[in-house]
Amino acid sequence: MDSSTSVALEPLLSFLAFSLSKLESGFYRIPGSAVVARYVKSSHQNDPGRTILELILVIFAIRTLLQSRTRTDRSGKHFIKFSEKEIDELVDEWAPEPLVQPLSEWEQKDLSSVPVIAGPNGPKPKLLATGKVVTNLASFNFAGLAGNEKVKERALETLQKYGLGSCGPPGFYGTIDVHLDLERDIAEFLGTEASILYSQGFSTISSVIPAFCKRGDIIVADRSVNFAIQKGILISRSTVRWYDHNDLKSLEDTLISVEKERKKRKGPLTRRFIITEGIFERDGEMVDLPKLVELKLKYKYRLILDESVSFGTMGRTGRGLTELYNVPASQIDMLVGSVANGLCSAGGFCAGSAIVVDHQRINGTSFVFSASMPALLATSGSEAITFLRNNPSVLLNLQDNIRAIRAVLEKTEGITLLGHRASPIIHFCLRTQQQSLSVTQPTYDYEAEERILQDIVDDAIANGVLLTRAKHLHGQEMVESRPTIRIAATAALTRKEVEKAAGVVKASVTRILSKRR
Amino acid sequence: MALNPPSPSLSIFREKKSFSQLPSMMKAVSYLSAVQQADFRTRTHDNPHTAPTPALSRSSSPATSFEDFVLNEDDDNSSLVNPNTPPMSEQVSTTPHTEFGHCANEAYRCVSKHDYTKPFLEHTIEEPPLYVHLATYISFIILYTLGYLRDLFGMYFTKSHFTHLEFHDGYAPLDSKFDSFVRRRLKRRMDDCYAQPITGVPGRTLHILDRYSLDYNHTQIYTGGKTCALNLSSYNYLAFSQGHGGWADAVAESIRQYGVSSCGTRLGSGSNDLHVFAEALIARFLGTEDALVCSMGFATNSTFIPTLAGKGSLIISDELNHTSMRVGIRQSGAEIRLFKHNSMSDLESVLREAISQGQPKTHRAWKKILVIVEGLYSMEGTLLNLPKIVELKQKYKFYLYIDEAHSIGSLGSRGRGVTDYFNVPPGSIDVLMGTFSKGFGAAGGYISGSKSLIDALRLRSHSGPYAEAITPSVITQVVVSMASIMGVVPASQLTESMPFPCLDSSIVAPKKGVEELPGMVPASMLPRWMILCPSLADGSEARMRMRRLAFNCRYLHAGLKKLGFIVYGHASSPIIPLLIFNPGKLAVFVRMMRARPIPIAVVFVSYPGTSFLAGRVRLCPSASHTKEDIDIVLRACDEVGGILDMRYGSCERWGIDEVCERAVELVHSV
Repeated sequence: MDSSTSVALEPLLSFLAFSLSKLESGFYRIPGSAVVARYVKSSHQNDPGRTILELILVIFAIRTLLQSRTRTDRSGKHFIKFSEKEIDELVDEWAPEPLVQPLSEWEQKDLSSVPVIAGPNGPKPKLLATGKVVTNLASFNFAGLAGNEKVKERALETLQKYGLGSCGPPGFYGTIDVHLDLERDIAEFLGTEASILYSQGFSTISSVIPAFCKRGDIIVADRSVNFAIQKGILISRSTVRWYDHNDLKSLEDTLISVEKERKKRKGPLTRRFIITEGIFERDGEMVDLPKLVELKLKYKYRLILDESVSFGTMGRTGRGLTELYNVPASQIDMLVGSVANGLCSAGGFCAGSAIVVDHQRINGTSFVFSASMPALLATSGSEAITFLRNNPSVLLNLQDNIRAIRAVLEKTEGITLLGHRASPIIHFCLRTQQQSLSVTQPTYDYEAEERILQDIVDDAIANGVLLTRAKHLHGQEMVESRPTIRIAATAALTRKEVEKAAGVVKASVTRILSKRR
Repeated sequence: MALNPPSPSLSIFREKKSFSQLPSMMKAVSYLSAVQQADFRTRTHDNPHTAPTPALSRSSSPATSFEDFVLNEDDDNSSLVNPNTPPMSEQVSTTPHTEFGHCANEAYRCVSKHDYTKPFLEHTIEEPPLYVHLATYISFIILYTLGYLRDLFGMYFTKSHFTHLEFHDGYAPLDSKFDSFVRRRLKRRMDDCYAQPITGVPGRTLHILDRYSLDYNHTQIYTGGKTCALNLSSYNYLAFSQGHGGWADAVAESIRQYGVSSCGTRLGSGSNDLHVFAEALIARFLGTEDALVCSMGFATNSTFIPTLAGKGSLIISDELNHTSMRVGIRQSGAEIRLFKHNSMSDLESVLREAISQGQPKTHRAWKKILVIVEGLYSMEGTLLNLPKIVELKQKYKFYLYIDEAHSIGSLGSRGRGVTDYFNVPPGSIDVLMGTFSKGFGAAGGYISGSKSLIDALRLRSHSGPYAEAITPSVITQVVVSMASIMGVVPASQLTESMPFPCLDSSIVAPKKGVEELPGMVPASMLPRWMILCPSLADGSEARMRMRRLAFNCRYLHAGLKKLGFIVYGHASSPIIPLLIFNPGKLAVFVRMMRARPIPIAVVFVSYPGTSFLAGRVRLCPSASHTKEDIDIVLRACDEVGGILDMRYGSCERWGIDEVCERAVELVHSV
């Protein structure tokens, strides 16, 4: 019986053996099969547990791949299943907050005190509220280009030829020859290979930073950089290390510690950037550019320098800090400036090597996805550069006026002047007993100081001098700085007028402060 | 020169000369275009309709007075410079034909309005035959393989080209080889069709600066020549951006009076009376309580959205929203969910889940939910299903933010965008945002809503204290554009209930409870120095333009469909994406359109701008195009599309001549 079954099974067994060997040889004929076989063999190692583990892994991988990626919550442990009726009830119950919180009483006062100018802005504008002509120490008109007849003429010519709007992003027939001209003019003016135009000054640097800095890159930045830089850094998702405000010693320490950390972790070399401002918008301090460039070269960082305030105001012809310190602009990897402030038009630019600029033409979000600037604003910028080149005396006037303002205000009781003595924006804050200007630990009442400063501003306006508080988004800035009044010097006023205006400011300060005591 | 008819042989010669300098890869294209041009010439002989009229000399046309500023003195395309049918003597044109086409035929007009009797199509995607997708995949595989091979060999043989992509001298590369691959190996091949500089007004035509490249588009060399091309790519929908005419005159006056710059931020002494005028006018235009302007359209989204939502709030955004909104949303710190493009059912399910589940982990109720959508999507041409989303809004109590970048000015019988198109009261939407760089021919953007909202944004948004204020010239253009759409009542005639002149009230009966949009604007709302010419002041010019735009959009959209192309988007959309799919054909299409006897400027969008498989060309007709211009475009698409095998559509097909003849019927049938 036994033998008969084995006889009967024989052909079947031989067929099985035959087909198995056929399969095996067939499998080995597939290119790369040896690798698979070797892998299975070595992972199996006579231990079925390991094979099962591998199989589970494969199944898990397939499951993950097939899972919908948009709503991971649904399968997550936090998901609670509701019936349709329950959901309807929840929807009915839900009461949202208002879209925005209404303005507080102080905010309303703040908003209503914003000056509105009737007619052209310039050294002596007329205010809409009172109809009075005031001396302007608030608006950005550093080189006195506002209302310049040549610029106007050029703008009018451009309007006839190009219309106003460019009506398209730069990639889609929005690049006009005048944009290329201004880009070339800026690059030649600064001495860089190329430059790229953005249509708003504020959005320039917050687009430049994320164009280069990606996740995993390292940014070392000044603690008191302006809001646009903070937003740029936020969007970039890079690792940020902050150094003390305008303290290059602290910068160097930070650079050393970053390098140490990297060596300790044996991490790969990533892109590294130093981000700071030429003249700080928030307090008028000036960075020591030669030292900064030395550090950046020594530690092999790239430098993103925001010259929104210093371009068009500093140096002999307004080329900015690079001209002032005689540092070649080509040593600054990304030099960001404002056409709106420096050239009294609108927009911003980033100058650098051709590679840096071309990179932004694809990766600069607010360049690629926004309409290019109107042609007449671009030609106005070009005209302004010509003006700066031909009239170096203008910036001497500006410096004269800055000195005059500082001279008067330094002698004023109760306030502290901030910033570098050559800075075209001059901040002053209230002097308190503690004399603490530390930015990290506020020892002052923010809103109370703002109110006092606003009183000073209102008083000065009533006496014929337009001033403004330095406006900040209280609570949204990374580091709160003390409330200040910001004066913007201009070359369009004579020294006499400036001295008189500064005298008015001084009188207002004294009057308001004595009232409070 | 003006007396001579265009000489096609000359233009061919010119094209050839420039092509011979191009890399050999493009020779096939030049061959194709030569064939096609010859073909066109024979056609134009047969068809007197499209032939330029040689008898029409400049001296007899009203364009004479513009000779001094017609850019192309050496232009051989007289059909672009002079109208085919000369305008009647009573039609005094204020602009050259190149900027704004003369079209006196009242039949070529249409009113932009939603027909509530027809069902609304949210986003219909017509699929091409399977082989097209397959070919697209293969085409991408070839492109990638070639690219990698070139990288591989390039690394050994032309090291200098790669130094900036590698570690050197202790610096990590600014751009890794991997990240820049698409740009270097895919986009650069088509760079001659991208970011072409232009000169002059981007109106009905534009002047492309001729250029060529000797090093595979690494650098471009400008020849100094210009090509005048029919402009199907600018967003100058109503052609308000003009060098001459009522709009430009007002802007010129503002430059004379106000100068160029506003010299500061809105909160820091850069505000002027023009801003105040403009904001009041915008609010009135839109029918909202208040409005706020910003100097850049992109920044309007990216700086105002963070103020609207924060931690504990949820933002639900359409998956195809514009980058500016994504940047704003990312800065806000709110939780983000996406829903399928323009799918209201998906939005509803996302809403139900979000509200019932609450915040992740804690399950606390959301503080608020903000739904951010676009009125008209710039890549798809799809129109928001506004009635449905407003219905959802009432049920789910979310706040609605609509970006009307492309729809404002270009949609609706009164140019008020999607709310106008669907006749939905603007007050039922919380935030209306839009830009000036499209319909209004200016730059910048606005946001509008309730007074409390706008006041909060004035003070708390990033723009107020930090961004430069919009310049006087730009804001003047906005004021004039809006005033010309609304119409101005002289101060003496002002009565309280001055209705807006209705275009055609018989088409759509307003839904119940619709508040009338405030009508004409009193002269006191405009700066005193701003005096508009009669055709602008009574709103007739702008109305004519809106109706011409609506006609052109519908005609081109419907025409392309009838010719067998796959076209996305809504029938009334001023953005018409013509699907080409294959990346190789995209560039060839653009080049062939440019190389035609009457060159046509179009833009293409490909991966990564769109999905991998849906490369497309975008056509944006404007009010400045005449019906003949659209005919030219349709004929060009028909020919080029035939050569490139692009007609995959399943719609009932007509011949090109039939489409051109039955244009009016076609427009009113959709």
